[in-house]
Amino acid sequence: MNFVTNLLLATVRMAIPILFIAIGEMYSERAGMVNIGLEGLAAIGSLVGFLMCFITGSTWLGIFCGALVGIAVNMIYAFATINLCANHTVYGMAINIFAPALASFIYRVYFGKGSDLSQITLMKGLGIPGLKNIPLVGELLFNQTPMVYLAFLLVIFTAVFFRRTRSGLNYRAVGENPKAAATLGINVIGVKYLSCVICGALAGIGGAYLTTCYSNTYTEGNIAGRGFIALAAVIFGRWSAGGILLACLFFGFCDALQIRLQVAGLGIPYQFFQMIPFAATILALTLIGGRKLGPKAAGKPYRKEER
Amino acid sequence: MSELLRIEHISKRFGDFYANRNIDLTVERGEIHTLLGENGAGKSTLMNILAGLYQPTEGKIFLEGKEVHIESPSQAVSLGIGMVHQHFMLVDAMTVFENIILGDRRSKGIFIDRAARRKEIEELAARYGFQIQLDRQITEISVGEQQRVEILKALYRGAQLLILDEPTAALTDIEVEGLFRVVNRLKEEGKSIIFISHKMREVLHISDRITILRGGEAVATINRDEMDGQQLASLMIGRELSESHYEKRNTAEKTVAVLDHVSYHKNSKHNGLADVDMKIHAGEIVGIAGVDGNGQTQLAQMLTGVIWPEEGHIQLKNSNVGVFDPLQFIQNGTAHVPEDRNLQGLVSDMSIADNIVLKRTESEEFSKGHGLFLKKKAISAYASEMAGKYDIRCRSIYQDVRSLSGGNQQKVILARELESNPDLLVAAHPTRGLDIGATRFVRDQMCAARDRGVGVVLISADFDEILEMSDRILVLFEGRIMGEYSGKNPPIKEISMAMTGK
Repeated sequence: MNFVTNLLLATVRMAIPILFIAIGEMYSERAGMVNIGLEGLAAIGSLVGFLMCFITGSTWLGIFCGALVGIAVNMIYAFATINLCANHTVYGMAINIFAPALASFIYRVYFGKGSDLSQITLMKGLGIPGLKNIPLVGELLFNQTPMVYLAFLLVIFTAVFFRRTRSGLNYRAVGENPKAAATLGINVIGVKYLSCVICGALAGIGGAYLTTCYSNTYTEGNIAGRGFIALAAVIFGRWSAGGILLACLFFGFCDALQIRLQVAGLGIPYQFFQMIPFAATILALTLIGGRKLGPKAAGKPYRKEER
Repeated sequence: MSELLRIEHISKRFGDFYANRNIDLTVERGEIHTLLGENGAGKSTLMNILAGLYQPTEGKIFLEGKEVHIESPSQAVSLGIGMVHQHFMLVDAMTVFENIILGDRRSKGIFIDRAARRKEIEELAARYGFQIQLDRQITEISVGEQQRVEILKALYRGAQLLILDEPTAALTDIEVEGLFRVVNRLKEEGKSIIFISHKMREVLHISDRITILRGGEAVATINRDEMDGQQLASLMIGRELSESHYEKRNTAEKTVAVLDHVSYHKNSKHNGLADVDMKIHAGEIVGIAGVDGNGQTQLAQMLTGVIWPEEGHIQLKNSNVGVFDPLQFIQNGTAHVPEDRNLQGLVSDMSIADNIVLKRTESEEFSKGHGLFLKKKAISAYASEMAGKYDIRCRSIYQDVRSLSGGNQQKVILARELESNPDLLVAAHPTRGLDIGATRFVRDQMCAARDRGVGVVLISADFDEILEMSDRILVLFEGRIMGEYSGKNPPIKEISMAMTGK
């Protein structure tokens, strides 16, 4: 029982950063922007979040600044792909190469070489009175950090926004057929920029979560492929908020399981278990594959006066 | 009648190229005003200016006597200008209802007031006599229905002036009749319509006045009854167009291809072939008549090796085909003008030159070592020669084929296919969507190929084309050959009946 509870608790903890990043990517792709630079955005968000928290002692300020820097870096991608109609993959990759390197650079300039790992105090848990005493469920869902609640609220908000609201409908049209959207008076360029702001912010928050709520220190490569797994979660979750939540919980579960199996001492090399989330991702994508394609105009440049 | 729209001296330049030059036009209330012109005459550009998609380089636009600057599509909408684009501006992944209310500004709340919006749309549809299924996805409804959704979208936004850009291009004859009923109904309600077309028969049928565009300029504006089709056509293309006539032939020369009781997805009425038995001789045009979607696509694919028969055999040059593979067919002298130029005929993002040699990159003429190294100079020289020979109008042979007009794209395909000296040419809807000049060119080329001894299979949904070109006519209905007729004095009535399966 204890093993199961711990496993499920770890599942939620592991899933949250991926969830933030994946929901960000969903906003991006729904506006036709296939941003593969999530890994880089999360990396810089993670460092800046850590740094601000280290300086000011406030985890909230850390998370806020993580979001801001995510937006700032993502504007490079936004300008290149929206205004210059550049290739989405190229600029996404550019961010994946540039942003983590920038993060490491800032870290070393600030803390110097060879110093001991600097640490911060993690964000405190906030139990919801009453609800947190429900067995298992209370522990899982109502005795977490506020960021976890925020993540779940974000999922609900996103689902309602895209399914029920007028703005959500217009937003989706931009990713499906920007020309049609433009002829109906929808501000295509505006929505695309908005999508990049949201995606940058959420990917930055996802990264900052790792340093302010998960491990209390920054290490190079701490994102460890979560940006790419988030990308997979969007496809696996079929571009819907609920689907993405399930996908992230699944990937989180795999991640939690591999850690538990590593320490269980089964005599199998630990690298084998580390492989599980990635193997599960490949398997999941193979199964779900081309069955339902995402937004139709995803990754395509939008030119206003095209002959 | 009172004037609704007046445009004065409108010009639009793209780089050094004038798509519109100094155009004047007026549209009255309750008028159907046709813009007639060939592809590239500047009709769509002019309408995109009215719809707020393009900004004019020069000129003024007046609506109800007041000068307006239409800077965005939403402004055009609020001025009461609605445009139905040739390529529909619909979001495939959404329902009809969602498409109509997209970008709607009249409701204030955050959420969509489905019930109220539905009621409004249903009332509107009833008023104009539209049958519409609001909850179907766009991908599930026919092209004609999609068009009605587009018109309804414009009306829902309060359009007074409705621009229909080549609305009949994608419709069947029956759907065109339906469209014309709708258009006349709109006219009765006092709406003004700008109708864009290059099809003479329709234009003479529906218009009140006609403005002819040529090379970006407005050549003339006339009342419908002032001119006949012939006169209009010569105004449109800028020269006298002789009555076309293709001589019919009787050939019993050697056969180039035989389909021997071939079946494919036999029981599928729309996507299969059932027991098709036909011979194609050298030096004849075999017309395949029939309503679209009765196995034409499969027939073309079968004759070019894309799909293989489930029953029966195919002979090329008198020997049975064992391996079904397009390359095998190409090597046996089959050329193909596919039904979808952009999807199957061309690599849109590659240049004209590259597309022209695409089939022959392994020949000594264009490469060393069987395609290992391309001879760029030889390719350029050849492509330039072909651009001249096939009258491909382009800025440069290195231009992407995507940027060419449909007619010029088709000429690129013809240059590639006919220059390979085929024995068999399979042409599927070769003139679909082309203007008069380009249509004539394509037909002339097919006829010339026949005279050189090529066996031509002409698959077309355009019955007039079949009658005009074919030496022999076969009718395809639900995947079966319903009858065979001579191309000389064909029994039109009988063939029409066969096309409907009787």
